[in-house]
Formats: sequence, C-alpha cells, structure tokens
Amino acid sequence: MISQVFILSSKGDHLIYKDYFRRRNHYNHKDLYFLHIRQGGLYWVATTTVGSSPFAIIEFLNRLAALVKDYCGSLSEKSVQMNFALIYELLDEIVDYGYIQTMSSDVLKNFIQTEAVTSRPFSLFDLSNVGLFGAETQQSKVAPSSAATRPIQSSREQGGKSEIFVDVIERMTVVIGSNGVLMKADVEGEIRVKCYMPSCSEMRIGLNEEFSIGKSQLRGYGAAVRVDECSFHQAVRLDEFDSHRILRLCPSQGEQTVMQYQLSDDLPSALPFRLFPTIERDNGGRLLMYMKLRCDLPPKRSPLTFVCLISLSQELSSPDQSAELKPQSRAVVWQIARFAGGTQLSALFKLEVPSLSSASMLEVGPVGLSFELPKITATGLQIRFLRLSPVQPGPSQRWVRYVTHSDSYTIRI
Amino acid sequence: MPSVLRNEDLKEMLESSKESLKLEAMKRIVGLIAKGKSASELFPAVVKNVASKNIELKKLVYVYLVRYAEEQQDLALLSISTFQRALKDPNQFIRASALRVLSSIRVPIIVPIMMLAIKEAAADLSPYVRKTSAHAIQKLYSLDPDQKEQLIEVIEKLLKDKSTLVAGSVVMAFEEVCPDRIDLIHKNYRKLCNLLVDVEEWGQVVIISMLTRYARTQFTSPWMEVRFDENKAFYDSDSEEKKDQTEAKPYVMDPDHRLLLRNTKPLLQSRNTAVVMAVAQLYWHLAPKHEVSIVTKSLVRLLRSHREVQYIVLQNIATMSIQRKGMFEPFIKSFYVRSTDATHIKTLKLEILTNLANEANISTILREFQTYVKSQDKAFAAATIQAIGRCATNISEVTDTCLNGLVLLLSNRDEAVVAESIVVIKKLLQTQPTQHGDIIKHMAKLFDNVTVPMARASILWLMGEYCEKVPKIAPDVLRKMAKTFTAEEDIVKLQTVNLAAKLYLTNSKQTKLLTQYILNLGKYDQNYDIRDRTRFIRQLIVPNEKSGALSKYARRILLAPKPAPVLESAFKDRDRYQLGTLSHSLNLKATGYQELPDWPAVAPDQSVRNVEIVEPQRIKADLFWVSNVHCPCVCTESGSESEEESSEDSEKTSSDSGKSSSGSEKSSSESESDQKKKKKTKKAQQKKNKPAADRYAEIPAVSGFGSFLPKLEFITIMISFFYDFFFFCQHCLFPQNDSKNPTFRTSGISLFHMSFQVTTSSFGPLKTYELLHHMTGKGLSAKYHFPRQPCLYQPSMVAVQLFFSQTKQISHPKCVSGSDNKKRLEPGASVTVSMGIDFSDSTQAANFQLCTKEDQFSVSIQPAVGELLMPSTMTEQDFCKEQGELLCDSNSVSRNETRCLTHRMFLLSCRFGGRTVSSRALVLLSLELSESSGALLTINTEKSVMASMLLRDLKQALAQA
Repeated sequence: MISQVFILSSKGDHLIYKDYFRRRNHYNHKDLYFLHIRQGGLYWVATTTVGSSPFAIIEFLNRLAALVKDYCGSLSEKSVQMNFALIYELLDEIVDYGYIQTMSSDVLKNFIQTEAVTSRPFSLFDLSNVGLFGAETQQSKVAPSSAATRPIQSSREQGGKSEIFVDVIERMTVVIGSNGVLMKADVEGEIRVKCYMPSCSEMRIGLNEEFSIGKSQLRGYGAAVRVDECSFHQAVRLDEFDSHRILRLCPSQGEQTVMQYQLSDDLPSALPFRLFPTIERDNGGRLLMYMKLRCDLPPKRSPLTFVCLISLSQELSSPDQSAELKPQSRAVVWQIARFAGGTQLSALFKLEVPSLSSASMLEVGPVGLSFELPKITATGLQIRFLRLSPVQPGPSQRWVRYVTHSDSYTIRI
Repeated sequence: MPSVLRNEDLKEMLESSKESLKLEAMKRIVGLIAKGKSASELFPAVVKNVASKNIELKKLVYVYLVRYAEEQQDLALLSISTFQRALKDPNQFIRASALRVLSSIRVPIIVPIMMLAIKEAAADLSPYVRKTSAHAIQKLYSLDPDQKEQLIEVIEKLLKDKSTLVAGSVVMAFEEVCPDRIDLIHKNYRKLCNLLVDVEEWGQVVIISMLTRYARTQFTSPWMEVRFDENKAFYDSDSEEKKDQTEAKPYVMDPDHRLLLRNTKPLLQSRNTAVVMAVAQLYWHLAPKHEVSIVTKSLVRLLRSHREVQYIVLQNIATMSIQRKGMFEPFIKSFYVRSTDATHIKTLKLEILTNLANEANISTILREFQTYVKSQDKAFAAATIQAIGRCATNISEVTDTCLNGLVLLLSNRDEAVVAESIVVIKKLLQTQPTQHGDIIKHMAKLFDNVTVPMARASILWLMGEYCEKVPKIAPDVLRKMAKTFTAEEDIVKLQTVNLAAKLYLTNSKQTKLLTQYILNLGKYDQNYDIRDRTRFIRQLIVPNEKSGALSKYARRILLAPKPAPVLESAFKDRDRYQLGTLSHSLNLKATGYQELPDWPAVAPDQSVRNVEIVEPQRIKADLFWVSNVHCPCVCTESGSESEEESSEDSEKTSSDSGKSSSGSEKSSSESESDQKKKKKTKKAQQKKNKPAADRYAEIPAVSGFGSFLPKLEFITIMISFFYDFFFFCQHCLFPQNDSKNPTFRTSGISLFHMSFQVTTSSFGPLKTYELLHHMTGKGLSAKYHFPRQPCLYQPSMVAVQLFFSQTKQISHPKCVSGSDNKKRLEPGASVTVSMGIDFSDSTQAANFQLCTKEDQFSVSIQPAVGELLMPSTMTEQDFCKEQGELLCDSNSVSRNETRCLTHRMFLLSCRFGGRTVSSRALVLLSLELSESSGALLTINTEKSVMASMLLRDLKQALAQA
C-alpha cells in the first residue's frame, strides 16, 4: 500500500509529487516508511504506512521508472519535467488509492491519453541523449543511439518509424588470481527487446542453433554456445525453442527483457584482457609497478571505454593514454582511449611511498578493469534472424545490437 | 501577485470555447498539483468541464477533482450527477472510471450514493467494472468505517467471483476491511489457489500473503515430527504416552495445504520480484522442512536484479541461512563480494558467507576473506575482520589459523584494520586461554602507534586480564598511561582505571603509587562515569576501616574468570518477523505489522472448504443465465477406435447418470429431464436432416446453378472476411447489384436454406480456440470451436464442439455439469464432444470446470459476438420493412461509416438478416457502397450493446480484408 510517490531530481527538488490519501494532517513521520531507488539520475521515492512488502514497493518503483522511460522516451530531469501531465496520468492509472492496479503497458495504452513531449532531436551537445552506444553514430549503417530513446506512444499518431531493437547485453564478472589463474568468471546476459511497432502480432527470434542450456545438453561437435541457466519473459512461447532455438513472442510496446541467462566459470572464448603486473621496490624506496596489458580480442574489435584502476611519475607506451593518481581513493587510474584487438600496452608507475616496507607491498592491489565491448558477446550468443509476422506494411526497421560490459573484472596482485 | 494573475489567466482559458485552450489550461493546472502547489481556487472553473466530451480533458479534470473535492465539498457535489450518468454507460471503461473517481471523492454526504454504486458495480457484467468496485470498497471504508457490515457483504459476493481480474482486488479489500473474517475464505480457498497463476502479479502478492496467514490458522504444522522428537528429549518421563499418540496419528498433510504449495510453486518463475519473494516466504513458513530448498534457486536469481532488490533479498537470505545452512551452501559462490557492490551489500554478503561457513568450505571462505581485507572500503575491511573472528569462534579447527592471520594484520599500515583486528583478537583470546603471552606482548609493542580508542581500550583490558602472563610489561604500560591519562578518550580512561586496579591486586609492590596517582586523576575527571568508577575502585581495593566487608573479595570480584563472548550474527533474532515484510527488513515492528499466527495444535474442520458440485451458475440471476452447460456425448466423427469405444461408454454412463449423480436431488432431476429433452430433439433433428440432405443431392439439377457458382466463390471469400463473426453469411448475403436475374436470387436463398445442415458443415469455420493448454492440463488439452449449427439440445443455445486430446499421461476427463460421462483417454487419442451453451446474447464468458479423476481445471468459453447470431431468411421487402420499424425506435440503431475498405470489396453491397440465438431478437445488417470509396454499414437491432460490438468487430474485419 503506497501513500505517496515522489520523483526527485538529483538535488532533491520535487519534480512530481502524488499523494494517494491526501490526509496530510494525519501523518506523523513515525508511522511513515520511505523507500527509494535511484534511476536515470533521479530519486524515485515511495512512502508507505502499513507494513507491506518492501519488495512490492521496490519492484513498483523500478517498474515505474521503466514505464516512464517507455512513455517519455528517456529518463532525465528534463524529460520528466516536460511530461508531468503524462506521468501524473500514468500514476493515476497505475495506482488507485495506494493499491497497484496494473503496470502492463499493453493495458495502460488503452487509458493513457496524454501525448509525450520529446526533447530536441538528437544533437551531439546534448549529453543526456548519448546512450551506451554513442560512438556508433559515426558509422552510417548504424541507427543513432537516440533512436531507441523515444516515447512508445508517438509511433501511434505521428507515423514514427516502426522499428524494433533487439539488444544482447552481457556483463562479465571475472576474478583472476595473483598467479594468473582464472578463479571465477561469470557472465550474466539478457536479450532486451524494445518495440515501436504498433501492430506487431508475432516476432520470432532465432538464436544460434548450437545454443545449449546446462552441461549435459551439448549438441554437435562445433564450439557450442552454452549457458548454465536461462529464464524467459512470460510472454515468450517456447514451442520452437527445443527444436530450432527460436523464441516466439508478441512484443508489447516499449522495453522488455525477453530472456535472461547466466554462464559461470566455463567461458567458451579466451578472456578479452590479460594483465601481467610486476611490483618491485627500487633503491630509492619507490614502488615500481610495471603493468603489461594485452587485449586478446580479434583485431578490429576494440573496446570503447577502458579504465584500469590500480590501487605514480608515469611512463606510458602510447600517447592515447592517461593516468592519474587519486589520493582519496588511493588508486591509480589508467585510462586508455583506444585499444585495438591483438595489441599490447604497457605502463610503468613509480610511486613515492613514505616509509615503504615489505609489508606494504602486500597491500597493493587488486586491479579492476572496466570496459565496454560493442559487437561482442562473451558467451558467443548470436541472433540468427529476426522475423516479424504479419509482414509489416510500410518501412520497418529491425536492429540488433550486441554489447559486453565489465561488471567486475578484477585481477589480484 | 504573479501567481494569482496566472490563475486568472488559467480561468479565462478554461472558460473559453476552444478545447485546445482548455486542455492546455488543465495541463498547467495538473502541473501545479504535481509540483505540490495549490490550485484550489480554480475549482469552480474546472468542475464545469467534468462532462466534457474530450476524453483527454475529462481525465485531467478527474485528476483535479480527486485532488480537491475534499476541500470544496459543496462544489464537488455538482459533478456527482455526471458520474451517476456515466455509471450506466454501455462502455465498461467509462463505467469503471466513473466509479473510480466517484469513490475517490472524499465527501461524506455521498456515502449512500457510493454504497449503491459499489453494489451495482459488483454485479456488473464486465469483470473490469467488478474489479473497480472491489477497489472502491477500501475507499468507502476509509471514508466511513460504519459501512463495514454492508461492505463485507459485497466482499463476500465478490470473493465468489470467478474472474481472475477480480480476485486480486477483492482480496486486497478483504485484507483492508475484514482480515479477521477468515470464514469468508473457506469456500473460496480452492478456487483462489487454482486461479492464482492467472491473477495479475500485484494481486498474486496480496493473495499469497493472505493465504499464508490462512494456512497457518487452518492446517497443522508439517514440522510436527521434529517437534515430537524434541519433546521426547525434554519430557522423558511421560514420553511414552505421547509416543503412542503420535504413532497413532502420523502426520498427513491436508490435501488443501498441498494444493496451495503446488499451485504457488510455478510462480517462483515470475518476473516480478515481489511475487517470487512472496512464494519464498510462503514456502518458508508453510512447507515441510525438506521442501523449502525449492525456493533457493529463485532467490539466488533475484541477486541479479537491481541493487535495492539485492539488498532486501540478501537480508532475507541472511535470516534463512542461519537456520538452514544447507539451503544455500551449493550457491556459496553467488555470495562472493564483487568489486562493484555497494558497501551495505558487501556487508550483507559477508554475513551470509559467515553463516554458511563450515569445516568443509572454511578454507575457501577464508581465502576469499583475505582479499576482502585488502579492500579500500574501510568499513567493509573492518566487517571482514569481524567475520573472520566469527568464523574462528564457530569452527574450532581454524581458530589458530585465524588468530595468526589476525596477528599478521596487526602490522597493517591501515589503522582501521589494526584497530578492528585488536578488538577481534581480544574476543578470540578469551575463548583461547592457552597462548596469550606472545600475542599480548606483540600488542603492547603496538600500543604506542594505535590511536583508535576502542583498540587502545581492548589492549588495556587484555593487559589487565592476563597481567600475570606479562608481569614485566603490564606495569610499564600502566606507567605510560598515567602520563597520557588526561588526554585519553573516556573508554580508554575506564580501562586504565581497571588495569590499575587489577595490577594493584596482583603486583602492588610496583604499581601502588601509579594506581593511586591514576585514581586521583580519575577523581577529578569531567566525566561522571569515570569519577564513579574511580570512587568504586578505590573503596574496593584500598583497605580502610569503612569498607572492610567487600574489599576482602576484591580479588575475586576483579579477577574472576570471565565467560568468553559469543560472536553472533546480527540476524539471529530476525526470524521473529515474517520473511519479506517491512518489519523484517527494518528489524523492528512496523506499524500495522500482523504477526503470523502459529500453527493450531488440532486442525479445524476441513470440510468447511468443500464446495457443492458446480451447478449451472447464475451470476446475475435476474438478468441472464451465464452458462447453462449441457454435455452429453455426441461424437461427430468416428475416426479412431478409442473414440468409438468412448462414445459407447459414455452413452451407457449418461443413461444411468441420473442414478449415480452425486449432486443434489434437484440438479439430478433437472439433468434427467434435460436428457429426455435432448433425446427428443436429437431425434427430431435427425428427421429433419434427412430430407434436407436429400434435397441437397438434387441441387446440381436445379437449372442455372452453374451460373451461380462464381458467386458462390465470392461468398466463400466473404466468409473468410467475416470468419470470426458470421457463420451464415452465405445464406443471406445476396448481391444487390445483380439486377439481371431477380428470380434466381430468391431461389438461391431458399435453396440454401433447404440445404442448411449440409452447407454449413462444408463452410464451417476452421478456427479453433484453446480451452485448456496441455501444459496446464497436465497432458490433457482441450480446444473448442463453434460449428455454427443450430444447437441440438435447445434452440436458444449456441453449439460448441470440444476436442479433447491426451498427450502425456493417462487421465480421465469428464465434464461436471448436467451429466457425468466418464471416458478414459489413451495417450495420443482424442475425442470430440459437442455441447450447447446459452450465452443469453452476451459475450460474457461461460465458465465451467473440466474434471478429470485427479484434477479440476477451470476453463471458460468466450464467444465472439458473431457466434451469437443465427441467420434468418427474409425477402428484401421484409428486410426493408423490419429495418424501417427498428429505425423508428431511435435507441436501436447504430450507424457508422467505414472508410477503410480495400479494392477487393468493390462489388459488395449486401444485407444480412439474422436473429440472436437466445432471445430471437432481430439483427439487420446492411452494407451499402457509396459513391466515394467509403461504405455505409448499418446495424439495426434492439440489442444496443450487441450492435456496437458487432459494428466494431465488422469494421475491423473489413479493414483487414
């Protein structure tokens, strides 16, 4: 049971405030519990009086943020401010007297009347519009990143392009021990569909045919694409999944996660990065850290952003890099702007450490890498095809994107 | 005053005649509300627009009204009549939204109106409206609690509702208004369990938590065996008697208890984290111990969700992992800390890892901990050291290893790490009384460098406690402390006084003067605790004439052996609270927290949950019969052997079903008479059929038929256009522009009419609908289709054919309703059954149950509006005449123009005459091609709801064609 909902800016200003009970005088803060999440740089706060399940409220806030994103196109202070009437209407439909009614965008589209107001079309200067895939805009064959950040409703009236985006997103968690042995490698992946098709009745997503779940189910002789666990959105029909690895679904407008999967320990391909650290003390009592970093990706595939965090005079082997000592966090940050596959970079950091002892050598580390690899999936999962039926009238576009993020890529020293 | 000026501006906009201006004004007003600013003085101007035709504007006015009605009660009353009118609107969404807004207007005067509206809406045909009425119950209750009794009646009625849409909402109302009236649930318990999977997710959360409570009051504990074992140990003397009792009654789970567990299990796959957690807590509180681990995997899966969700899930896992280590042990890797986790999540993971540690996995866990200690996140590193301490006390094998590791940490460069290690070592040493000397010496060396007060105090305490083991060092430490006493923190001063006292008792020669000096310093300290302590110690240890009695025991008091502290989890007593609740997360009793009742010792009467065998149900008795289902077995085709057999079987069983029927007398007699009727009609139909078929055989001989054939094709195409709605189009659709051959037209009609039985089956629609999926039906799947033939049993019924097929294991489908025909379906076999349903000319779904030997499946058949029509033959003149008559009654006409016709429709201009199946009301439909590309579709009937639905569907079908 929800008493109030607030959407606050990052500074704490009220953007939206909705009170479901309007009994302000009766409140004392003692009986009011606040729950909040943070998404899109905004705070989403709900208050509740009766001890209801905190899960329900957190889930509600997360869904609300997703819905607002679907309806307004993007999540930002500006888009929320411009669409207060729409969001207010949404809040009114979703929650009645503190009880959540429905959050399905299929149901809601029957009720929501207000049109979304979108901010200016994509411009390079508007940073809020640069999505995860920002750099791809330079290539002509690829949709601008802003294409997926528009409200779902506009496609109904304004004759917006009917498009469908399928993203395969994977996050890697890797721990490499100090002896260079891989201790833990996890990949969490999901297939996310964002649909702007007003009349898409069925969609078929074909995965790699050699895709297999669990250890026992290996097929064929080739390099199988294997995951440990797999879960699907409830709208997905799996009748063709066992035989042909085809997911069938009727996507509702907006964004939804169609499939989630997980793979632990047994990665099919080599790790994208290896680090060879050497740490020594020189005669002047300085700590010398020699880092050799190798990118094992196929050539031409290069990570977009790359930050290597090491816990400093610097000598770097290429001009495209920079490094910085962050005294508060006691870390060295080594940034590499461009890092081509199959190459190797090295850096030597010399640190002046007062009263350096052999014990303090033990306190160095671990190294954390953070990066984003477009067009690559760590599990090897690929979308074989994407078919829509009935065949869409007029021009429709289908986009498939792959990206792998580092969730936590740690190399112990 | 700019704000007032602006409001004037808004008022003007609202009073203008332009919709767009009004809309803009309303948007700005809602903007004011959304920002929490007052817009109440605009009330009169806004409320005028409540009856606006523009839906967007109307909705914004509703938003405003709900917000301010309480402040402006008199003016708000002006809008009430608009809502009362809207409550009677044929459109269900308008009815529902009117009720929603009406019930949100918190004006006490309208309570009776609200009550009436809720009662009416609770009996509405549309489940959506009924759902809204369930929501309105809580609103009315909070406005006027005196209405409770009446509202409970409505709740009771709505609880019986079979719609999944309503179930969640009415349980919410139940929980709000009368959570103690558990008796209302009994009869609906099984239904709720069965519906649960299909209820929308937020409703599932509420229903599950309600059912958890229900189960704890109605069933006996499945953990009984364990309890009795405990009892045996405790009460050895009288255990024999008890033993007899327990052995006489071994625990058998109530089938309803099992039903709940079974039906909630699939929900663990839900996308909604709240549902997953609700099921997890249900299993935790209700399932037998060995079944609880089913939920583990799903909970671990939630760890991949948002940060906030992770936090709460980890809290719950922490509580669970204390009681059942085994549940989470296989997933221990999932709780390893990742570098990107937030501190509060890291500490929770540590907590869980510590709970899960045992002899087998401790070495891996400790290795993991080693790297955590290095973390730059100091709070986390400190928590890790605490965790190491806990592992060391819990698992005696590793105590030494841990202690050594901690001692190594004492030379760490980070003071927080050192301080935390000292505190933990202090606790560990108390449990390990053997090897103190070296460690304490090491600590004394460190003492000068340690500045964290807690750590300093810990070292001092250790010195005092084990001063006999370090006789040389301890006095020296005291000397140092005497120097810096005044500059120390309070906690350090207290321990200094303690150390002084203990040394005075053991080694008074060296420390007498030092002690007196410190006691003097303490006497004049600013802190009263320290002054107090000093006074007490002085009286205790320094002998003087006043305090002789106690000081004799000073040594025994101060140097008594102290019990080692037990390092416990912070989550140890969290299981007081129900898992997944706010109280559990906060670890304090939240307002409104309902404690989970304990199992009853003896199960209450189980039979209260029995429901009478489903009779033909009346949802709204005065209006219509929802489903009057008859199900004699008539197999239309005899393809496989099993079908033939089954049809024979069923004939036998149906003939004696009157005797064996277990229902009430009334229903059995009804079914008997029905059967007789059926037989009669069946025979009659057969008689009729024969000549019809004969005549059909003659048709090719009719002259001119050949020239009709192309038209026939055209008609077939038409059928595919109308495939969802009309089954008899071919009878009455006659091309109007065919003026060359008027005689042929009429003969064509009559011809078709004669050959009715045969032609329909050849044109019969192929579209089948799924009644029961083989997954939900546990291997049994059922499909249905509308053969579009007159029903054999009663002319007012719509014929429906059901196809059953068995895919996996054997089960025995039989239809409970009217008659009992038992069939046995072999795997792979299928059987066809026809039945008739009286839909009373409404598209309301007919709900009934499909029973097999083990299971019951609630299924429903919902007809498209076209299935409710029968064609009727009439001449063109009659058609026009009837149309004219219906036109006079303005209510019965629905006209609409459709523009979206495609080129394929160019030759089409046609009429259709028919009657509704149940009430024989005339439905006339004509489609006229106009000069421009559009066409005019007119439906004339007295059934206005039907007309609008028909119109909508036809428009859609024509647009698609």
